[in-house]
Amino acid sequence: MKTVFVHPERCIGCKQCEIACTVAHSQTKNLFLAVFESPTSKPRIHAEPGLVLNTAFPNKCRHCNPAPCQMACPTAAISRPADHPEIVYLSPHKCIACGMCAIVCPFDVITFYATNSAPGRPAVAIKCDHCIERQRQGSEPACVEACKVEALEWGELNEMVKTARTRYSEAVSVAVGNVSTEMVAIPANVEAWHAYGAEVSRLNASGEKGA
Amino acid sequence: MTPFSGNGYKKYSINEDTLAMMEIAHREGIETVWDRLAKQEPQCGYCQLGTSCRICAMGPCRVDPFGDGPQKGVCGADADIIVARNLARMVAAGASSHSDHGRDILETLHLVGEGHTDVYKISDTAKLHRLAAEYGIVTDGKSDQEVAKALAWQMMEDYGMRRTGLPMAKRAPQARQDIWQKTGTYPRGIDRENVEMLHRTHMGVDNDWINILLQAVRTALSDGWGGSMLATELSDVLFGVPTPKMSQMNLGVLKVDQVNIILHGHNPMLSEVIVAASQDPELVELAKSKGAHGINLAGLCCTGNEVLMRKGIPMAGNHLMQELCIITGAVEMMVVDYQCIMPAVAETAKCFHTKVISTFDKAKFPGVEHISFNPQHGLASGKQIVKMAVDNYTNRVQTRVHIPVNPVPMMTGFSIEAILSALGGTPKPLIDAIVAGSIRGAVGVVGCNNPKIKQDLGHTELTKRLIENDILVLVTGCATVAAGKAGLMVPEAAELAGPGLKAVCKALGIPPVLHVGSCVDNSRIIALGAALANTLGVDMSALPLAGAAPEWYSEKAVAIGVYVVASGIFTVLGIAPPVFGSPNIVKLLTEGLEGVFGATFAVEPDPNRAAVLIRRHIEKKRQGLGIPAIDPASIILPEPELQVV
Repeated sequence: MKTVFVHPERCIGCKQCEIACTVAHSQTKNLFLAVFESPTSKPRIHAEPGLVLNTAFPNKCRHCNPAPCQMACPTAAISRPADHPEIVYLSPHKCIACGMCAIVCPFDVITFYATNSAPGRPAVAIKCDHCIERQRQGSEPACVEACKVEALEWGELNEMVKTARTRYSEAVSVAVGNVSTEMVAIPANVEAWHAYGAEVSRLNASGEKGA
Repeated sequence: MTPFSGNGYKKYSINEDTLAMMEIAHREGIETVWDRLAKQEPQCGYCQLGTSCRICAMGPCRVDPFGDGPQKGVCGADADIIVARNLARMVAAGASSHSDHGRDILETLHLVGEGHTDVYKISDTAKLHRLAAEYGIVTDGKSDQEVAKALAWQMMEDYGMRRTGLPMAKRAPQARQDIWQKTGTYPRGIDRENVEMLHRTHMGVDNDWINILLQAVRTALSDGWGGSMLATELSDVLFGVPTPKMSQMNLGVLKVDQVNIILHGHNPMLSEVIVAASQDPELVELAKSKGAHGINLAGLCCTGNEVLMRKGIPMAGNHLMQELCIITGAVEMMVVDYQCIMPAVAETAKCFHTKVISTFDKAKFPGVEHISFNPQHGLASGKQIVKMAVDNYTNRVQTRVHIPVNPVPMMTGFSIEAILSALGGTPKPLIDAIVAGSIRGAVGVVGCNNPKIKQDLGHTELTKRLIENDILVLVTGCATVAAGKAGLMVPEAAELAGPGLKAVCKALGIPPVLHVGSCVDNSRIIALGAALANTLGVDMSALPLAGAAPEWYSEKAVAIGVYVVASGIFTVLGIAPPVFGSPNIVKLLTEGLEGVFGATFAVEPDPNRAAVLIRRHIEKKRQGLGIPAIDPASIILPEPELQVV
């Protein structure tokens, strides 16, 4: 299942994902023209700040399955497109702006604005559609394309989780290596085995011996 | 010649030499400006719209142009204030660049006046005396050296705070000067306006966006009618007033069997010396002893334009060619002074035997050898640099040399003096041709290259459309190389012009596209406009003139655009400036300025559409002057065809 994986530790809060999302969902798809559209397009991703200074989390629809918003929607405005069943898709013309989807959304990423796809309505629900139009044309979502620091990654969820997990294991191995052997009860043979592994890694890394 | 066709790169440039070099770059894994642009895209939307502010440490701040997020910075500045401050600082940086270039030339004149240089001298006494008269200097009984010193002292005051108005701004028609006085935009001192601009855009100083932009206008005018004009005039005094001559353009000007030296940057001080040093018999002999047939110079960017105008030195290319000319493998040395020199050239040069040498202490580059240029003993530096290039010839790998094209001829050297001389000493024949309608008007097509526009497409297509419609085109800077490479700058190109312009060009033996110089020489265009307006007894905004910067990239171009519009000349930009985040400022620049300065900006990347906007404007001005005109509305605006890359 393809999705946008978020690495919040890499986010620098530049909000380029928001702009790219807004332009991708505008009528003209052109930054300079989009600012003059009426009503203006709105972002579906929100890089909101964390509790600590200089942290942020690019928050967007996680395309839950089952999706609480889909279950709560009284007009069946939220569905799963046949060609992209992994996407939770909102049809603006069916939306009655009751706000139920936003109430049940675990991530609070559904907002309400006037949009060109529901002309005449003062406001309808706006949410991420995983750039379904761009995907149909072979492109990745606009927010991922815009992210210059790889805080947003597009790919198979399990593969991205595995990559992240491997990185974490590597970090833990370094951390464990820094713990004094006197602090932990390890049999001498296991300690020697760890020391051997560390030596091989060091030699390989320095390029002096080994592969 | 080269086996590299460049097919596959055609969306980047219209030029064969560019395409062939891009193919080599790609095969050899050498990064170019286009690769780096692709890695930057999509570029920051806030910054492109001008609504990001890095002025203070309460920020950085952004205003959401779509209205959802913050509408004010931490200090309370809204989109209008932020866009105005950013644009104003761009103008100040651009005006400072031209004006500091002018300062270096002025200091050289002062050295000549003091007798403290063994290399520079007064090359045009008549122009020195014309300027001295303009500055109210009594020249009777004074030697040229004494006049130079007195003029230099007076012009140094142009950079100070004692003047209430720049003397050269008085060249503008009185009606234009009255507008500047009335709007508080009459430039007083060059450094003063730039410093005041930086002061006023500090947080918590000027927060009226119109007031900020008026000071931006005054700053730009201190460039156009000050720093740039001074750079042009004094370069003419020191190095000679340009006169028409033939030269050549494109990468074909590099020679397979000679020591090739590229002169890159903007200031002619060093390049003039290199031209002299390259003709030194001992160095030519040394080159021959290394197996080369001679020493060949080629220009890039505006240093190239300066030595092309005055010495007829051919040009290898414009802004986007700076990395590519190294990829020919035939360049022994690239000598750089300052402005528009991509730090990337140092990296590209590492892939070849090419030496890059920086020469001005205010412009150093990582990984580049620096030879500090001393204008008091310039020739010694020049000879040292040329000798290094000659010595480097033996390191050239001939099998890696690919010179992809044959050079294209072009005509250069059209200073105002030269244009008037071609017209028989007075602007009257040009005015007569405009009044009769055989020439509809004149347009300055100027400015840079920008990898966001297919290289030279904007310049050449616009220029072709204009001359086809009997509009005389004046070119400076990188636009020159585009038109030159396209074959539009030879007298025979009159055949490509409309019937009226064609007849005039043929009668005078001139091309329909005239080279008036480097980017500081845009001051020649406004001075010519002023002279025409004064002859007719009208303001400059009444004339059928326009400006265009189809592929601009630099802050200097922003300053130029602002002083041209503030001088009453409608200007079309091919690249959107970072102002679209403020609808108020867009409206001011594209409509509101008409009622203040009698001219506006337009943004139009498609050169065919830009040409129509300009033609409509010119016909409107002709109507205003009561001379034969076509109904502007009858000129049809085509649908956009040519896409921005």
